[in-house]
Parts: sequence; C-alpha cells; structure tokens
Amino acid sequence: MATFLERLDAQLASFLSDWNLNSTVLVVIIASLILYPILFPVEADTHPLLLARQSALDPIRNKFQSAIHRSPEAPPGQGLKSGFDLKDAGAARWAAGRDGDLRDIWREVLMAGTMQPGWARDGSSEEKLVPTGKIQTVLGREEVVEHDVQQMSKQIQIIGQHLKAKGCKKVAIYLPNNLEYLLTIFACSFYGISPILLPYNLPHPAAYALINATTADGLVCAAGSLPLDGVAKECSKIRSLVWVVEKTSRHMDWHGVPHFAKNRLTVNVWHDVVQENLSKTDDDLPTNASGDAPTDIITFWDSPTKPQIVPVSHGNMVAAIAALISALPSAQRVGPGDVVLPASSFHQPYVLCQTLAALYTHADLAITSVAQPGVEMATATRGIRPTAVIASAETLHTLHKNERYRRNSVVEEVAKYGYSRSLAAGHLPKQSSLLFRMLSPSNLISQGTKPLELRLILTSDRLDTPTPALTSRTLSELRIMTRARICYALTAPRVAGAVAQTHVYDYRVHHERDSVSKNFGIPLSSVEIWLEDKNDDAKVGGAQPEGEIVVSGPAVSGYNRSTGKGAVKLGVKGKFGEDGTLSLSYVTRQKN
Amino acid sequence: TIASPLNLVLFALFILLLYTRLRPASKAPTLPAPPAPLVFKTFTPPQLKPFNGEDNKPVFLAVRGRVFDVTSGRNFYGPEGPYANFAGRDASRGLAKGSFDEEMLTEDLHGPLDRLEDLSGDEIESLNGWEERFNAKYLVVGKLVPVGHADAEPDDE
Repeated sequence: MATFLERLDAQLASFLSDWNLNSTVLVVIIASLILYPILFPVEADTHPLLLARQSALDPIRNKFQSAIHRSPEAPPGQGLKSGFDLKDAGAARWAAGRDGDLRDIWREVLMAGTMQPGWARDGSSEEKLVPTGKIQTVLGREEVVEHDVQQMSKQIQIIGQHLKAKGCKKVAIYLPNNLEYLLTIFACSFYGISPILLPYNLPHPAAYALINATTADGLVCAAGSLPLDGVAKECSKIRSLVWVVEKTSRHMDWHGVPHFAKNRLTVNVWHDVVQENLSKTDDDLPTNASGDAPTDIITFWDSPTKPQIVPVSHGNMVAAIAALISALPSAQRVGPGDVVLPASSFHQPYVLCQTLAALYTHADLAITSVAQPGVEMATATRGIRPTAVIASAETLHTLHKNERYRRNSVVEEVAKYGYSRSLAAGHLPKQSSLLFRMLSPSNLISQGTKPLELRLILTSDRLDTPTPALTSRTLSELRIMTRARICYALTAPRVAGAVAQTHVYDYRVHHERDSVSKNFGIPLSSVEIWLEDKNDDAKVGGAQPEGEIVVSGPAVSGYNRSTGKGAVKLGVKGKFGEDGTLSLSYVTRQKN
Repeated sequence: TIASPLNLVLFALFILLLYTRLRPASKAPTLPAPPAPLVFKTFTPPQLKPFNGEDNKPVFLAVRGRVFDVTSGRNFYGPEGPYANFAGRDASRGLAKGSFDEEMLTEDLHGPLDRLEDLSGDEIESLNGWEERFNAKYLVVGKLVPVGHADAEPDDE
C-alpha cells in the first residue's frame, strides 16, 4: 500500500521526467533574470532620501510668513554665500576671504597656466598649476577660433582706457554674443564704468528708446545693427560710439560721423582702436588699489508686461556666480576640460553669470553669435562639441516638441523604455553603457558620427515673460533625448543669477504637481526665500506653505549686507512642497 | 514535449519574473514631516512668566530683550533645577552679576524692563559672553517688550 509521501514522490518523479532542452533553457533564463541585478547592481546617482527633503528650514518663522527656506550649503544660522572668498597673498589662513568682483574673474583667467601658491584654496600655500581654459569663438559650421588671453587683456585695457578718456560713465552694449561683449564688460569693470546690457535685435525705435531710458553716454554696437544717423539723432547723450565690425565687413569705412553730431559724438571702430594703441599699453591691468572702484551693471528685464531697468552690483553678481558654481556637486561641476556653450544671449543675467562661472572655473568657453533665446539646439551647437550648454527654455521646449513625434525603430523604443526606467530608479546611464549605445545618435544636437559628449544642460525660466514651462515630465523626456542632466532655474529681475535651481540628480516626475505648477527645486546658497500671506497665517504655517514669494540675500539687488534688509517680493504666488522645493503656479492667462 | 507541465510552470515563472522586473517603480520614499516652525512672538513679562516648564510648557528665558527657548536645558532652568529662578523671566541682570538670587529679577512685571545701566564693565562683559553662548546653543523664539509697548501683542485666553 503506497503512503502519501510515496505517491507524492512518484508524482514528482513523473513531473520532472519531462525535463528536456527547453526546460534547461527556461531555467537558465530565469536564473540569469534573478542573478543579473545581484551581480551587476546599478546604484542611484544620489540617495533618494536626500531628494525627499532638499532644503534647510528655519525652525522659527514670523507671523504671516513661512519659515525661511535656504540651501543646505547655507543653513539658517550661517551666512549666505556672498562671493568667492578670495584670500589675498599674505592674509591669515583662517581669516575670511573677500568677496571679490568681476575683475577677479578676469585675473583668475589670467592666472591660467602659471604656478600659483595657495591656489588649491585649502589653506595650504603650496604651489599648484592653474588649469587653462580656452576661450573660443565658433564661426559658421567648421571654424573655431581660439583667442589668446594676453591679447584679450590688452584689448580690455585699450577699450577701457578709450571709453574712460571719452568721459563715458554708462556704456550700452548692443551686440550679439561675441568675444567683444565679454571684453567690454570686463573693460567697464576695470575702469569704473557701468555697462548696460541691452537685448539684441530690437526694432530700431525700441533700441533708441532703451538707450535713452538708461541714460547711456557710450555705445558699443555691432556694425550695421543700428543706422548711424538714427543713433546720432535719437540718442543725443551718446558721446562715444564704438562699432564692432566683423571680419567680412572690414573693407567698408565705418568712421564717418553725421555733420549734425560732429561736436558731440565720436565714432571709432574696435579693431582700429586696438591696433593703434597696441604698442602704447602698459603690461598690467589696473590693480584694485590703483584702479577705479567698479560700479553697477545695469540689466534690462525684457518682459512684455513688466519691463524693468535693474542695476545689479558686482557684489550681487559674484554672490550669484559663486552660488551657481557650488549648486552643482563637485562631480558634476563645470571645470577644466569641459566645453561650455552659452546658447542664449548674454544680456540675460543668468546666462551671463553661468558664462562667467565657466570662465572662473577654467572651463573652455565657446562663444557663438547665433545664440539667442529660442535658437534651435542643432544650430547653436553647430561646429562645436560642447559638454555643457546654457540654453533658454524656448530652445528646450522646441527640441522636445520636435523630437516627441519622431518615429523610432523598435530597438530605439526598447532602449528609451529602459532609459526611462533607469531614470525612475534615480540613475542616468553612463555613456559607455549598452543602453546608451542602443539609442541612436540624435541629429538634434550636431555631433557628426562620434558619440555625444553633452553631459549638462542649464536652463532657466524668466519671471513675467512668456517662457514656456518645462514640466518635470518634459524634463525627464528631454533627459532621454539629450542623454544629459538638466538643471532648471527660476530667474527674476531683481535677483542676480537665479532664485532657485533643481537638483542635478533629481530625475523624479510628479504628475499631479505638473498639472498645476512648475517646479524649480531649492533656493541657491546666495538667497533665502520665504512665503508671505498677509491674511491667512495657517496657509504659510503648514507643512507645505503657500503664499507670495519673497527673496532676500546678497544676490538681491539693493540688499544691504550690514543690516540684512532689502528683500524683494517677486509678485507671484509659490508653494513649497514636502520635499522643500519651490513650485510656481501656472499663470493661466498665458497660452503655450 | 514543449508544452509539458514542467515547461508550462517554468514559463509561467519566467513571465512572472519579467513582469516584476519591468513594471513601473513604486512611489519614491518620503521622510516624515519635520515639526512645524515656531512663530516668533513678542512677549511682555506677564506673558513670559507661564513658560517656566510647569504644565508641560516649554522653558523660556529672556536675555537683553531676546527670548530663548531653553527647554533642552531643562535640567538647569526647568522646575527644580538650580537656575529655575530664571525660567519665564528676564535673566539679564542675574547673568551679568553671576547670581541666581531673587533680587536679580525685576519684581514689577507690569513696569518697564531692567535697563542694566548700573552694571560695571566686567559685568557687561560677562553678560556678553553669556549671550553669545545662549545664541550658539539655544533658539531665539521671540523678543521681550514692556507692557504697553507698541509691539506688545494682546493676551490670549
């Protein structure tokens, strides 16, 4: 009589007697499915709990205000980041450094290639070789011109002395992105002149109105962009006009002055002024002690609803630049070996701050004159292989819209799915991974046949302008399309740099939040943010406060560092989520 | 023999594993909410007095017009602590002179605050030192104004 166990044994034996090749294959596949993630684990780029609460909160708040939110680099109780913390030679090791200004950025560029004691900024005085960052201009499709730093320094000196000699106190800059733009800004910094950053390609009456509204008495203008007669007639305060002439137009004579303006206006050409004075200049740029103190940089916030002329001091700019540099973890920071391409216009303070940050950290800079808000990514990256791009939100929005409906092959779709799963798990696949290579090289970003090197895209939303919103879902899809990390910042007129910026490793998608607001991450370390609601204390006192955004800190125009007063209200409603990130509600009246 | 029971079971196992591997991920982890931030309050001496640790209230004390939350130092400043006299009161004079006696506290809670004008240089120094230590160790939760001051808030309850 067979027992239960014996019958079970017989059943099992007959069940397993069917074992054949197919069973072996299936077992091997199952075993590999189980073992593969154990043998080849993939870690998230950052711990998910670090993204679960990203900003540092003050434990105390005022009535009708929310708690002050700050970056974890500058928690409540510590000072906010106010500059580069430069220690001059001979200063005590433990003393606080000075903040610096834009002149120190150029001096840092000049130090490239030399041995400097104390450059490591870790308190030691050993000599270190300062890395060299190339400054290049991209001309057309194939030509990339590298500029010599000493030559550029001489140009800064010559142009600065020229403008100062003409008695200009405020010089308007009406140029597309080119080398002369940056050189003029540095020239104004060294010789105590205020540069006025004007948007390019305005209709002529608007340009004249803006030049007059800012009371500019000097103008550095791209030859041919504004008619000489118009400028001489409409902008009567201008004493010195410097044309910046492209190589292709240099055969023409740009020296003429209309006779009705002969006594008040002098017209010069940049390359001629430089040529004439090249042999006469001293060796060095003025030092801080001997030169003029730097004055404000005047920016124009070109919003259709609330245009503003905002003076930004050098202190605001360096606080913003230092905060933008340290907002990225050191593994992701832009530095020596990176090629940075500003793909939006320099008149936008965020783009200018990021460009100066790239100069300060000795990254290679590639300047292209096609860069403007809304330029197509493929056009902007023509002829150069950038590793970091400073793009406008319009550019990315167009990129996303065009790429979304592209028909992909099955392999690409599978690779895209794998990529998005990897992002959901918090990991951006490295360029050498199989997944990366399965995704076809995209022709969105010009790069020929070699694999993409782009690793970082810095983009911003400009308050009160019709910039398209980039939801977290759009950003996630853009990360798959460009295979790069994207940081999305909120910029406002009276705050230098940015108000808030998303974490570089934050790939999360929040569908509910996307439908009502756009998310901008945590405050930069140069500002602190709180929300105000004069009527309802409960709204700002809860775990997710809502109210009007107020920003304070060294990067805010008009901030007084000794008293701590000078907060600015942005005039929009915002909300802090449970992860401490700032979200702005959509303005419903603006379509698209 | 391809569709033998064994193969079917193994295939089902394979499909199950594939599904668990490829389904969309669950929600991201979240941290529990931090304690709600305290509201910065303007105290008058009678309003400050209840905050001496009794009835489960936090322990506050005032130094030169700033109210500190010293609940973490309850062993010292709470009830039955050696410095319990300071709890809920203006402790500036006591800290300057280094004494915990009753005479150091202002008697009239409805009168003006102690102006500390008759303190010597040494006493002012030691008061500064104490204030720095308090600033580093404890949170400032409010300010102290005399009764009838423009900033004084009306009493609750």
